[in-house]
Amino acid sequence: MNAFATDMTAEPDGVPETAHSEELLRVDNVSLSFGGVKAITDISFDILKGEIRAIIGPNGAGKTSMLNVINGFYHPQEGTITWRGKERRKMKPYEAASQGIARTFQNVALFKGMTTLDNIMSGRSLKMHRNFFWQVIWRGPAEREEIEHRRKVEDIIDFLEIQAIRKTPVGRLPYGLQKRVELGRALAMEPDLLLLDEPMAGMNLEEKEDMSRFILDVNQEFGTTIALIEHDMGVVMDLSDRVVVLDYGKKIADGPPEEVQANQNVIDAYLGVSH
Amino acid sequence: MFYREAGQFKTSYKADQALMPILQDRVGLLVILAVAFVVIPVFANDFFLTSIMIPFLVFSLAAIGLNVLTGFCGQLSLGTGAFMGVGAYAAYKLTSIFPDANVILMVLLSGVFSAAIGAVFGLPSLRIKGLYLAVTTLAAQFFLEWCFIRIPWLYNYNASGAIEIPHREAFGVVVSGAEATPIVRYFIVLGITALIAYLMANVLRGRIGRSWMMIRDMDIAAELMGIRPLQTKLMAFAVSSYICGVAGAMMVFFWLNAAEPSSYSISLSFQILFMVILGGLGSLSGAFMGAAFIWILPVFLKFIPGTIGINVAAETVEHITFMIVGALIIFFLIVEPHGFARLWQIAKQKLRVWPFPY
Repeated sequence: MNAFATDMTAEPDGVPETAHSEELLRVDNVSLSFGGVKAITDISFDILKGEIRAIIGPNGAGKTSMLNVINGFYHPQEGTITWRGKERRKMKPYEAASQGIARTFQNVALFKGMTTLDNIMSGRSLKMHRNFFWQVIWRGPAEREEIEHRRKVEDIIDFLEIQAIRKTPVGRLPYGLQKRVELGRALAMEPDLLLLDEPMAGMNLEEKEDMSRFILDVNQEFGTTIALIEHDMGVVMDLSDRVVVLDYGKKIADGPPEEVQANQNVIDAYLGVSH
Repeated sequence: MFYREAGQFKTSYKADQALMPILQDRVGLLVILAVAFVVIPVFANDFFLTSIMIPFLVFSLAAIGLNVLTGFCGQLSLGTGAFMGVGAYAAYKLTSIFPDANVILMVLLSGVFSAAIGAVFGLPSLRIKGLYLAVTTLAAQFFLEWCFIRIPWLYNYNASGAIEIPHREAFGVVVSGAEATPIVRYFIVLGITALIAYLMANVLRGRIGRSWMMIRDMDIAAELMGIRPLQTKLMAFAVSSYICGVAGAMMVFFWLNAAEPSSYSISLSFQILFMVILGGLGSLSGAFMGAAFIWILPVFLKFIPGTIGINVAAETVEHITFMIVGALIIFFLIVEPHGFARLWQIAKQKLRVWPFPY
């Protein structure tokens, strides 16, 4: 364990749990359809600053579509998205990125031909500014900038404990590590809102525990707001501050984990009801 | 045994992210440069320089150009020949308009024109990917070739329809035209190729090179990391076309002395593309290896029958060379689809643990 990681076990010096009050993102009456298929119908919820917000629901409920709406991939036909108190116009994903929204994918979307280090460095793209001229010369400003960002990236590599695979092309890594690198890449963007699409899919128990610890650390240490989609209910109930439940593109419950767990609509959605 | 980085410790990120972090690689590069700049000029005859080294370097540079676009940014292009042609015609026009200007400078400047045209023909890449994009670059190839034939201004209304490189001097030495000596041409071509290769290595290891590779590997994720797809792709098109343009200009100024529109036909595009694929997509050293394979190997094969005393008709030799090179291309692609660069990497990996298997 390095010093950086031992720090994490100490008392989180951030805001206490109850103080999440400032709204970071709010979606109001958002509907999204593809031709005749309604993926999302009239959904409203908010994400408070500093919380871990889970989005759950059975397969095809519209969870990933919801994330795609938030980071600008899809443009909802109806409804508004408010980001930091300002209504957001229709935007491209790279604009969402520059406003501080980062994301990981359900099926790992790493840059396969690049090393772990380069993948995480790619997360710094928005923060690096040296233009083509300086890049061509390299010596001087471009090199200094690269080293400065390399330091930040090495901190993330330390934090995620992936030093050993720094120079390995990510295509050769096992799935669990790829997921971890992808988290590192998103963290390198220093986002305000981190969207995690099934961060624990396909992992074994130990890997899930590791990943849960990383998510909690990110949330408490860096104060990053997290919205996550996850199917493992144990993880969801343990990690999240509040849970929103979708089913067939509609919101059926919203609230703290215990409350959602006891909600009859949620139980019906997951277990099915006899008609 | 000799190729091991054991004991070479890096104490700074600067040393760790150097182009060649391993000492043996640096020594190897120095040896290659010494051979290229000293040994070859001293020992090579004119034939070796004119027919082997100069074309090899020109094609290497063109392959680097295409590699930037196809190998690093993932945009397949079949317009390389035409972009090289733009460089050639631009340099020719520039030196006609400014006869007193340094022709080497004009060659370097000509790339700017092909960069601009390359960027225009790169516009469809925002919407079109893969093979379909290759078809749209075919449009560039045919349209530009048409321009080279139909716009007489481009070849100064020359009756033959070809461009003929005039006599030019720079720094008191004849550098182009029929009187230029092979050794001078060789040094110019070598200097420009080495310089551009080095500068590209810099670009490719930094932010811009990474952004190209991000687009190549996963364009959706790249966009989510804040990469603007259009700007990034157009930049790759522009840089790639610049390099191809300079290579095309060097091809006519320092190698062929004269060029017709058919010199920059689609077969040239394919030739460069094969060099890139065979050498290794996404590798600068691969561009050199691919160019060496496609250009130098056939020249050597042609000499084999004569040197071992078999009397074969010249045309038969030509045909046999085609067949052997074709068979070797298939052989190497089966052995290693990622090209010579990957083969070399694997060899280095094996060398590292030699004499043990792993």
